[in-house]
Formats: sequence, structure tokens, C-alpha cells
Amino acid sequence: MRRLLTILRILALSVFLVCALFPLYWTFITSLKGATEMYSYPITYWPKQVTLENYRYLLRSLNFGRYTVNSIFVSLLSSLAALMVASFSGYVLARRRFSTKKVLFFVLFITQMIPGFMLMSSIYVMLGPIGLVDNLLVLAFLYTGIMVPFSTIMMKSFFERIPESIEEAALIDGCKKLQMVFKIVFPVTAPGLAATFCFAFVNCWNELFLAIMLLNSESKKTIPVGLNSFVGKADIDWGAMSAGVLIALIPAMVIFAFAQKYIVQGLTQGAVKE
Amino acid sequence: MSKDRRFIFVMILPTVLFISLVIFLPAIRSIIMAFQDYNMYFLTKKFIGFKNFSDAFNDPVFIQATKNTLIWTLLSLALQFVLGFSLALLLRRPFRGRGVYTALVFYPWAVSGFVIGLQWRWMFHGSAGVINDLLLKLGLIQERIAFLSDPSYALYAAIVANVWYGVPFFAIMLLAALQSVPQELYEAAKIDGANAFKQFMNVTIPYVRPVIINTTLIRFIWIVNFPDIIFSMTNGGPAGSSHILSTLLISKVYNEYNYGVASAIGVIIMLILATYAYVYLKINRSEGGF
Repeated sequence: MRRLLTILRILALSVFLVCALFPLYWTFITSLKGATEMYSYPITYWPKQVTLENYRYLLRSLNFGRYTVNSIFVSLLSSLAALMVASFSGYVLARRRFSTKKVLFFVLFITQMIPGFMLMSSIYVMLGPIGLVDNLLVLAFLYTGIMVPFSTIMMKSFFERIPESIEEAALIDGCKKLQMVFKIVFPVTAPGLAATFCFAFVNCWNELFLAIMLLNSESKKTIPVGLNSFVGKADIDWGAMSAGVLIALIPAMVIFAFAQKYIVQGLTQGAVKE
Repeated sequence: MSKDRRFIFVMILPTVLFISLVIFLPAIRSIIMAFQDYNMYFLTKKFIGFKNFSDAFNDPVFIQATKNTLIWTLLSLALQFVLGFSLALLLRRPFRGRGVYTALVFYPWAVSGFVIGLQWRWMFHGSAGVINDLLLKLGLIQERIAFLSDPSYALYAAIVANVWYGVPFFAIMLLAALQSVPQELYEAAKIDGANAFKQFMNVTIPYVRPVIINTTLIRFIWIVNFPDIIFSMTNGGPAGSSHILSTLLISKVYNEYNYGVASAIGVIIMLILATYAYVYLKINRSEGGF
């Protein structure tokens, strides 16, 4: 009986793993197939002829290098900014009692219901007349604002895990308050800061709708916008598309794999009874 | 005290500024636009009362999209929950390589909905798609199905992709909750003669209940507001049959340049979600929700 349960458990875990990994595998081998093999029968589960043609095409004729640089720039800038802003307010929310705290929490909750795509037309209408569209810095500013609420909630939960006694000790030793926050509190929260940064980075890296709305020149496009202009064409070149998809998802996957443990801590704190 | 108050003010100020400028100001602009004739083809910007709303309601695609939103959200949520909970239960007890296993099985979480939609669009391809090939090999279908260009399948194909994407989130949250159940509770239940099933119903479920409630509340809102997969898989097609409200909003902006109607749809989504959150929280007040 016990034996049977173990076998069933292993079987079930394997099914979950295969289902999770299969799309990744399929994208990978599609990116290695040539144009004729892609559509020929029978469908091959490993390319008969491995080719890097799709990657070459992507990098040479599609500005994918440019898109990648843009994506890194925007995501890095906005996640760092969001992290800074969120760690200030997250700290105060975790440590101080003040009258407007409840209101602030309510506001943060409300923002969860207003995603970026709902605001894109009004943002466009507001920024267009003052010439602030098609600008990566403006996009980074908007991403920062969108990432701030959730990052604040995450940072708050990380600060709450640090014992208050360290801070008291630092204050007694004559540290100024801001100095204390920077020199004592932030270093101790390093994993929390890293997790929040990664979470924000991946979200900005993946963002599509605002970027489509606000970027139109070829030199400003981010990876998702580049991939999307691919879809617009009548016949999708699935080989090059798969190669592009892999380039888009590998950084996000790697970052998440490293930070996952801490991101989970940040998300589950408060939701789980202590 | 006043010095401390200044400290609090300075620390909160950037957050308040960013949220106001990037979220609330555009949100207000959007609500105003919902009552304006704001079509980028013929810009009049005149106030036209509830015309955008009545235009939306009179559009058969809108009615279809509303129905689809309900199917999309409830079916995705239920399947994500059941599969996510099962995965969490399977992962509860440690085994060799669990760390690597979870990192692999949870990776869909990191991928954008847009990219997931593209991957599944290719896998669901009518002639060269691997899903058709697998179903044929397993003998489940006799001939290939054009999943994404058939109105009776398109939405459900997108739901499959969405479930695939959402299982890790539930598994992660519920696994953390399961691991926080004190072992003593199980010991006590065992002494009282409770079998595995009874332990699950009377110890595990009550203990993780607040997490289940909070997670489904947030998840419901996210799924309603998650156009990414449908956008890249079917873009609402064929003929609007797989639109949900959020993808319809996007196509009003991108394809029709009708910002007025798009904003009206945005306001409708907000009202639905606000009502939902209010009722949900009212019912679960005693459960220690938000």
C-alpha cells in the first residue's frame, strides 16, 4: 500500500514536470528546425537537421540586438527606481504607526485592480500633446510607478522580519535615523531587496501593452514589442518566432530561479498564519 | 514626535507621487474619457453622456466577451486551484532533488503571458501543431482540429494555456501554507484516531483556509485583468468569439482607436471587480482577509 502510494506520487510528479517543461522543449526544437521541416509530416520531435538559421535571421535582419539592449535598459532602470521608492515606504509601513496607514494600504490594494493596459489610452492622450511618447525614459518612469505598489507590499513584509532590537541598538550607539536605515537596516534586508528587484525586473521585462502604445520607432522597441510586430505579419515565421521567444524568456527564467525562494517569502508572508 | 512625522512623510512621499502620477491621474482621465467622444479618427472630445456605455452594451461582441470573461475566469481559477493544490500536496514532504524539481516545475510563473500565448499558439497550430499530433497518436481524435480558428475551441485552448501558467502560483502559495501547519496538530489528530482523510479535512483545510481565501481573491482579479494570453493566441478571434472584456478593451484601442468606448469598458471592468471584492470581503470578514 505504502509502496503503491510512493509510485503514484512519483508518477504524478513526473506528469507535472513533463507538462511544465514540454512547451519550453517544443519552442527550443522549433527554433532549431529549418523552414521545410517545420511544416512537413510526420512532425519530428527532434530536428532531422539542426540549423541556427533562425537565430541568425533574428539577429541580422530584425534588430533583435537593439530590442534586447532597450529591454535591459528600461527594466533595469525602472526596477531599481521602484525598489528604492518601495523600500522607503515599505520600511515606514512596517515600523511606524500613523493615522493614514490604513488609507495607504487601501490605496495599494485598489491599484491591484488597475493594470497598465487599462490606463494606456489615457496615458497616451496625456503624454502625446507634450511630446513624451516614443521615449524609453518616460516608459521607465511609468513602469516604476506601476511596480511601486506591489514592491512596497513585498518590502514591508521583509522589513517586518527584521528584529527591531538591531535598530534600537544602533540608535543608542548614536546613529542618526536615516543613517541607521541605510547602514543597518538595508544591508540586513539584502535578500528582500534582491527578491523585490528581481520581481520588478521580470515584470518590466515582460510588459507589452504600454510599450506597444508608447513606442513606435524601430530603434526604441523592447523585446515584447519586437515579437509582437512579428505577429502582425500575415504568416508568422514560427522558427524565428521561437528563437525570439527563447531570448525573451531565458533571462526571466534565470532570474526567477535564483530569487524564487525569497520572492515566495515576500509573497506568502502575511498570507500565512505564523 | 514632529521630527518623526517628517521622517514618515519624506519616506512615503515618493510612493504617493508615483502612484498618483502614473496610476490615479490616468485612471481619472480614463473615467472622464469614458464620457467623451474620443475616437482618434474623428476627434471631437465632446461629452456625450453614457453613449460609450450604450455603444458597448449594444455590441454583440461585448455580450459575448462578458460571457467569455465569466467562463475564462471561473474555469481557469478552478483548474489552477485544483491542480496547484495537488502539486503543493505532492511537494509537501521532502524528497531528494526537491529544490531543483520546484525550480523547474515553477518556471512558467516567470514567463510573460504574451510569450506563453505565442508558444501555445504554435503548439495548437491546425496542421503543424504538436498537440494535434499527440492527440492523433493517442487516438483521442480522428483528424486534426483547427483549434484556434474554430469558435467552439478557441477560448478553451486559451484557458488550457492559462491553467498551465497559473498552476505554479497556487502551488507556491499553498505549499508555503501547508508547510506552516504545526506538526503537533497532526500528532494530536492521530492520537484522537483520525485517518489521513480526516486529518486533511479537519486539520489541513481549516489551517490553510485564510491563504486559500486571500489567494483566490487576488487571483480572480488578476485573471479577469489578464488579456496577455488571449491577445497573442487568438487576439479575440475568430470573429470576436474568444474575446474577454480586457482583450476587447485592447482591440478597441489598438485596432479601432476608439478610446472612449475602451475607457467605458475599463470602467465596467472596474465596477465588476470592485463589486466582487466588496462582496468577497464582506462574506469572509470573519476569516481574517485583507
